Amino acid sequence: MPLPPRGSELRIKIGGAAGLGIKAAGQTLARSFVAAGLEVFDLSEYPSLIRGGHNTYTLRVSPRPISSHVEAVDVLIALDRETVDVHLDEVVDGGAVIFDPEVTSTEGWLPSPRIRPVPVPLAKFAKEAGGPIMANTVALGAALGLVHFPLMFLVDSLREQFAHKKPEIAEQNAAAASVGYGYITKLAGDFWMAVEPLPGQPKRLLVDGNEAVGLGALAAGIGFYAAYPMTPASSILHFMAAHEREAGVVVKHTEDEIAAMNMVVGAAFTGTRAMCASAGGGFALMVEAFGMAGVSESAVVVGVLTRPGPATGLPTWTEQSDLRYVIHASQGEFPRVVLAPGDRSDAFELTWKAFNLADQLQTPVIILGDSYLSDNRQSVPMFDLDAVTIDRGKLVAEGDVADHPEALAEDGSYLRYKVTDDGVSLRVLPGVKGAQQLGNSYEHDEYGYGQRGEAAEVRAAQNEKRMRKLELARTLVPAPATFGVDPAEADVAVLFFGTTKGPVLEAMRWLEPDGVNVAAMQVVTVWPFPADEVRAFLGAAERSIIVEGNITGQLRGLVREQCLVDVDDELHRYDGRPFSPEMIYAKLTEVAHDA
Amino acid sequence: MPKVADIQRALEPTWCPGCGNYNMQKALLEVLEESGMDFEDYAMVWGIGCHGNGADFYRAQGFHGLHGRALPLATGIALTNPDLKVIVNMGDGDGYGIGGNHFIHSVRRNIDMVAIYHNNQIYGLTTGQASPTSDQFMQTPSTPGGVVEEPVNPVGVAVAQGATFVARGFAGDVEHLKSLYRQALDHHGFSLVDVYQPCVTWNKVNTFKWFRDRVYKLEELDGYDPTNRTMAFEKSMSTFHELTCAPDECKIPIGVFYREAESFTYQDGLPQLDRPMWKHAEAPRDISKILEAY
Repeated sequence: MPLPPRGSELRIKIGGAAGLGIKAAGQTLARSFVAAGLEVFDLSEYPSLIRGGHNTYTLRVSPRPISSHVEAVDVLIALDRETVDVHLDEVVDGGAVIFDPEVTSTEGWLPSPRIRPVPVPLAKFAKEAGGPIMANTVALGAALGLVHFPLMFLVDSLREQFAHKKPEIAEQNAAAASVGYGYITKLAGDFWMAVEPLPGQPKRLLVDGNEAVGLGALAAGIGFYAAYPMTPASSILHFMAAHEREAGVVVKHTEDEIAAMNMVVGAAFTGTRAMCASAGGGFALMVEAFGMAGVSESAVVVGVLTRPGPATGLPTWTEQSDLRYVIHASQGEFPRVVLAPGDRSDAFELTWKAFNLADQLQTPVIILGDSYLSDNRQSVPMFDLDAVTIDRGKLVAEGDVADHPEALAEDGSYLRYKVTDDGVSLRVLPGVKGAQQLGNSYEHDEYGYGQRGEAAEVRAAQNEKRMRKLELARTLVPAPATFGVDPAEADVAVLFFGTTKGPVLEAMRWLEPDGVNVAAMQVVTVWPFPADEVRAFLGAAERSIIVEGNITGQLRGLVREQCLVDVDDELHRYDGRPFSPEMIYAKLTEVAHDA
Repeated sequence: MPKVADIQRALEPTWCPGCGNYNMQKALLEVLEESGMDFEDYAMVWGIGCHGNGADFYRAQGFHGLHGRALPLATGIALTNPDLKVIVNMGDGDGYGIGGNHFIHSVRRNIDMVAIYHNNQIYGLTTGQASPTSDQFMQTPSTPGGVVEEPVNPVGVAVAQGATFVARGFAGDVEHLKSLYRQALDHHGFSLVDVYQPCVTWNKVNTFKWFRDRVYKLEELDGYDPTNRTMAFEKSMSTFHELTCAPDECKIPIGVFYREAESFTYQDGLPQLDRPMWKHAEAPRDISKILEAY
């Protein structure tokens, strides 16, 4: 398999029991490499518990842009024996395993013709440095020593990590790292792999998807965020709460997701840019109020960060199986927009855009992500803050409603739900003189009152008015993104949505030297579905495939339904793990050769 | 300032003749007029049920929300616009049954708002099923053998949960109800007013007469101290009654059970809520400093 040339990038995996600080250690390492000008992509895999159980953190480091994790591992840091048992096969030939012989027995896997064992007395060194908890820090130092990477970056990163704790904690960790580093450089100076800093790189960000969503919401002027904790969405709540006072956001951890969604509709009623987020299970509780946002034409943004279901499912793993669910959720019919970011840069941009779309359309907008987006960090170019705009649509926030005769009835009353050509009515906020109005979960007349909403002609007119906004949405939403060659020149055309983007783009890079031409299309706005663009893309391609992380082919079903065409092949994953580029590379190679 | 006739919308009422909701609306309209608040100074929120049809009978800034979810909807309004006084109307099934979780948490949050419960001890709009406040052993279409559960004690729950203003009214005494509404509007914090509001169509037991024979006013009770939480809790227990109890054996207190003169509200804990929160979206927020940490 023509993976990136041997030695051109580094893949480190740290494994051990939950509670050993594996993710924190890994992120410290990630920051070190980014500070040194390198690109990183990390992947945390962990069961739903706080202590015990097997956790891993995988870090891919490269001097060139990368867009996903990979399966291959060059250096495995085994903090326990289970890590060896589960992950030894992932280590490339000639790869190293750093382990503590006092903790991890060598029985059954050493000696090995393929593996370079690197025994380090991690526990002993950690204890000497200040405490056994620092075994992972010793191992990080050892790993850097192994690949001849300057220790300074890790020490700086450790100091940053422990900046809010007592100064001796940072210094003990720095000492632990340097003991591990020194021990290895003395012993293992001949390891074949070396990673070098790349000075002079522009500032990049190291963010996970939830941070990118939170940053996008802040940039967009969010004033209210409500949520109930649920993996993988919880860290958006933490992010918003951490910034609530300095940024000026009211953040509420609610009694349940039902309250969160209802509060967000109330906040939108006062004109506040408001958002809530959860996983699919929490969104299930939000759905009734989500529908209320639709019928009451409330501008709200809802994050749905999915994980494998149904019910509690696999809380800490990933899947793309809620596509149909978010498109259809709620009884009745109303327009909605569903945006599916493929990576962290997308997540920032689509989140601030979601607030504009919600205001322009006066209807709910969903940001559909998943654990692969939420949990994992990636180095990305600095977000383009100058591109952020605020468009609040037809909104009057101050003054007197009498100055807006186009929104008034003959008797001068304000018509919140006036029937218009594009379906959007002038939204005059409560507090504006004369803007008495009734937001309503019932069908209603132009004033908002429910009693006359039952009249057949009123119901039909309001229903049609709302649905006209979906046509307006088509002119406003982000178009599909295309990558690679033109579909007419492609050996294979790939259609996907959401976070499959990373491994697809990665696999495409690997296919280039093989001479396989790939065209790819990311359905960025999954609703309203971009039927014309998808039909044209698939129609131009000789051979096409859909790659999606679910068992039933939800995107494929949408393509059939919306475009009246089909694809030639499909690749699914539904075991809770994200697609790897290796998996997609193998499948696209097979499809291209069959063509 | 708006008069009753300005705030009331002239629509064909959808409440049954004699329904307790008429008196509740009359009391609220008159207190709103008296309060001197302009239309722009308050927002009203309704849940779903017979009471909620009242949403159509007001000219107000308001929202007719979902069944059971009026409190969080109102909370979203209250926590994003400090200029609005929020008044919430709910029913007993609506507010104590399906919305019971929000009831508990809104009380302990002490959100500065007025919560009025139209308590008719029955599901009126869905044709007469037992509600969470129906008396034990009451026979209804959903409980033909009689209600087995104890009724919810909203006053007791609120007092136990740290409420800062708890009152009970009776729709048969408009002047008394108005005094409760006035005090609730004046209170800084979560003001709960539970109002016995007899359903003339579906509840043939707890009628206006039934209540008139039994209610008495706490403020007329010698030695009652509405700032004493323990006393309030004890009194809340006596609001329970049995279907067969005789008027002189079964007295029901109305009035202010409990109040705190000084209370720390949820809004008081939000220094960032110093303006309507929509003002944060007048221009993109500068996040460049925050980005330095990434």
